Amino acid sequence: MIRFLRSRPYAFALVLFVLLLIANIIAQPRFASPSNWAETLAIFAPFAIAALASTPAIMSGGGGIDISIGPLMTVVDMIIVAVLLPHGLGAPWVVVPVCLVLGAAVGALNGTLVTLLRFQPVVATLCMNFILTGLATQIEGGSTPQGSAWWTDDLAGSFGPVPGGLISIAVVLAIWFALSRTAYLRNLYATGGDDAAAFSAGVDVTRVRILAYTTGGLFAGIGGLALMSVLMEGEASDATMYTLVALAAVALGGTAFTGRRGSLIGTLFGAGCMYLITNLLSAARVPDTWTDAIYGGLLVVAVIFSAGLANATQARTT
Amino acid sequence: MALSVAGLAKSFGPTVALRSCTAEFRAGEVHAIMGENGSGKSTLVKILTGVYRPDAGTVAIADGAGSLVAMPGLRNPGAAIRAGIMAVFQEVLVVGSRSVLENAWLGADTVFGRRAPDAEKRARAGEVFAELLDARIDLDAPAASLPLSRQQACAIARVLLREPRVLILDEATSALDVATRDRVFAAIARRRSSGMSTLFISHRMDEIGEIADRVTVLRSGASVGTLDRDQATPAKLVTLMTGAPNLAGGKGAHQRIERAASAECVLRVRDLTLRPGGAPVSFELRAGEVVGLAGLEGHGQDEFLRALWEGDPGGRVLRVSGTGQAPIRSARHAAGLGIGYVPRDRRSESLFAPLSILENFGAVTSGDDRRFGLLSQAARRARLSRYAARLGVRMGKPTDLITTLSGGNQQKVIIARWLAREPRILLLNDPTRGIDLGAKRDIYALLDQLAAEGVAVMMLSTEVDEHVELMDRVLVFREGTVGAVMERARLSRAALVSAYFGQEVPA
Repeated sequence: MIRFLRSRPYAFALVLFVLLLIANIIAQPRFASPSNWAETLAIFAPFAIAALASTPAIMSGGGGIDISIGPLMTVVDMIIVAVLLPHGLGAPWVVVPVCLVLGAAVGALNGTLVTLLRFQPVVATLCMNFILTGLATQIEGGSTPQGSAWWTDDLAGSFGPVPGGLISIAVVLAIWFALSRTAYLRNLYATGGDDAAAFSAGVDVTRVRILAYTTGGLFAGIGGLALMSVLMEGEASDATMYTLVALAAVALGGTAFTGRRGSLIGTLFGAGCMYLITNLLSAARVPDTWTDAIYGGLLVVAVIFSAGLANATQARTT
Repeated sequence: MALSVAGLAKSFGPTVALRSCTAEFRAGEVHAIMGENGSGKSTLVKILTGVYRPDAGTVAIADGAGSLVAMPGLRNPGAAIRAGIMAVFQEVLVVGSRSVLENAWLGADTVFGRRAPDAEKRARAGEVFAELLDARIDLDAPAASLPLSRQQACAIARVLLREPRVLILDEATSALDVATRDRVFAAIARRRSSGMSTLFISHRMDEIGEIADRVTVLRSGASVGTLDRDQATPAKLVTLMTGAPNLAGGKGAHQRIERAASAECVLRVRDLTLRPGGAPVSFELRAGEVVGLAGLEGHGQDEFLRALWEGDPGGRVLRVSGTGQAPIRSARHAAGLGIGYVPRDRRSESLFAPLSILENFGAVTSGDDRRFGLLSQAARRARLSRYAARLGVRMGKPTDLITTLSGGNQQKVIIARWLAREPRILLLNDPTRGIDLGAKRDIYALLDQLAAEGVAVMMLSTEVDEHVELMDRVLVFREGTVGAVMERARLSRAALVSAYFGQEVPA
C-alpha cells in the first residue's frame, strides 16, 4: 500500500480524496444516498473536465499551459444554446460533433501559436482567453439565451441507471485511454520529461505539443456540453471562473508544471478533492469567502508533498 | 563507401565554425575525427545529425545498393535518423522520468504508430542491454535512478536498436565506465561486418588507437588529412592538429611585459574534488602572474574556475592575505575579498542588454557614485571615461545601449566593471571568445599590465595560442582533474595539444 502510494505522484490527492469523502458522508449522510449521485456528478462533471482539459498542455512541458479552457467551454455552451438549438439543430449527432470539432480546432490553434510561432504558452492562451470571452459576449447579445434538449437533460440527470455526469467524464477518460494504447502518450511523457533528449532521439516534438493542446481543446468541447446540460443557459461569465481553479486541481493532482510528471487520473482526484472541500464547507456552514483561501493553503501543502515524494523516490533509487 | 562529405562549411555571423570539411567514410570502418577546441568537430556532427544546415558543401549517404545518394534534406534529427545517421553525445540525453525501456525506444515510434509490439520491444531491448552491460538491468526502472554510465548505455542502446548505417559517438564514451566502454567497442566490432560505419570522436588517444581504422584531422574548421591506422602515430596527429599558429599577426605580435611573479600567494585551493571520482586538485595562485586554464571542452576547467569564484561547500577554496586566510563562501563574498569574475556567456551571465553602457559599467560599483546619499551620474561618467580610456573602449555616448557596441567592446566594458573595484585577483572565463582581433590584443595588453601591477590573473581559454602567448603557467584539465601543469618555458602548441589528449609532451 505504502509502496503503491510512493510510486504515484497523485498519492496525496488520492488519500485526501478518500478522507474528504468520508468526512462528507459523516457530515451529511444524505450525500451517500444513490438518489443524489446523478445530481452531484452532473454538477461535478464540467469542473472536473475543465481540469482534465488543462492537463495535457502542462504535461507537454516547455512551460506549457492552457488558460483558455474555461472560456472555450463557455463558447461551446453558448453556441449550443444560442445557435444550434434555436435553429432546430439540437440532435445529438449534430451537437456532439460540433462541440468536439470546435474544441479541438481552438486547441490546435493554441498549439500552433505556441510551437510554430513560438509564443509563450501563457501569452498565447491568454490571447485566446480574451478572444473567446469576447466571442461569448457577442453571441450572448444582451439576453441570456436558454434551452435544452431531451438528451442534454439526461446528461444532466441519468441515462437509465447511469448518471449523465459519469458518462461525460468517462468519455474523456476513454479518449485518454485510447491514446495510451498508441505511441502518443509515451511521446508526450518523453517530450514533457526532457524535450532536448526527445528531439535528438527523433521525436517530432512540435507535433506532439500541438496535439497536446488539441487534445485539451477536444476535452473542453466535451466539458462545454456537460456545462450546457446543467445550466440550460448561456452566460458569458459562466466557465471563466473555472480557469484558475482547474489549474489548481491539476497541481493538487500531482502534475508538475514543468511537465516532468503528471497524470490525468491525478487531476481527476485533484478536482474531486476541491469539489468535496466546497461541499464540506457549505455543509459546515463556513462562509463561501473562506473557500479560496483554503484552496490556496491546501495547494501549498500538496505541491510540497508531491515534490518531496518525487525527490524521496529519486534519492532512494540512486 | 557509406558516407561522404565534401566542402562542408558553416558560419555563425562572423564566426567560421567549419571552413571546408571533406572526408569519406567506408562501410564497416571505425573512423576517428580529431582536432582541438574550435576545430569544427561538433559542427560537423551537428550537420550530419540534422541540427545545423550547412552553408555550403554536400552530404551523401549510401543507399541499400551501395551507391551514394546526396542528402540535401537533413532538416532535423528525425530526418537524419531516417537516413540512417544516428549519434550519441557526451551530454547524456535520456528522459530521466521515463523507464529504461521507453528510453531505449525513444523516438522509434511515430507520433501515434508503434514501431513494434511491446513484447518485441522488450525482448530486443533486453538483447541489446545484455550485449552492452555485464549485469542485468531493470527495464522498468526510471532512467534517472541509474548511474550515469548506465544512462549513457540507454542512449547507446537506443541507436543500436535502430540499426544505424552510420553511428556517431561524439565523446560518448567519456560518460561510460571502462567495462561498459569495452563492451560498446565489442558491439561496434560485431556490427562492422553488416556494414555499419562509426564516426568516433574521443579525447583519448588510447581509445582511438584501439578501435579506429583511420583518423581524419580537423584544424580551424578544415579537414587537413586522413591517416591510416599504422601511420597515425600520436606525434604525427599532434603535428597535424596544431599545424601553423593560427593567431593572425604571427608570433611575437603581442609585446609581453617582462615580469617576475612574486612568491606571495593570494588564493589557495586545497584538495578540491571537481567531480565524483576525479583526483583532488591543489593549487596556489600568486600575485602578479597570469595562469591559464586549458583542456578540451568539458574536462573540469569551467567547474574549477567557478569554484574559485563561488567557493565550494567544503571550504577548500581560500583567499589568502597578509592577515590570514578565509574560505570563500559565495560569489558575493568573493567580490568582497577583492576578486573579480568575467563570466563566459556575455549575453546570459554578464550583460544587462536593455541597459546603457554607463549602467552596465556601474552595475557592481553603484555605491562609489553616491553624493549625499544619491547616485551622481556625473561621478559615474567620470569613472567610466577613466576606464574606457584605459581599455580603449570605442563607443558613442555613455548612455547608448550596451548592445550598440561590438562584442569586443562589450567585453571591455564588462572587464572595466570589475576593474573599477580594483580587484587583487581577476578571474576570466574565456573572455576573448567570439571577439575581434583588435579587441583581443587590447585585452592581452591589459592583462599583462595588471599582472605587472601585482594583480593575480587566472584565465580560462579555449584557444591554444592564447595560452602560448600569454600565460606564465597553464593548468591542463583532463577528465575532471588537472592532468598537467606547464611552466612558460615548456609552453608550445604541440606540447599543449599533446597534453589535451593525455600524451607525453614531445621533446
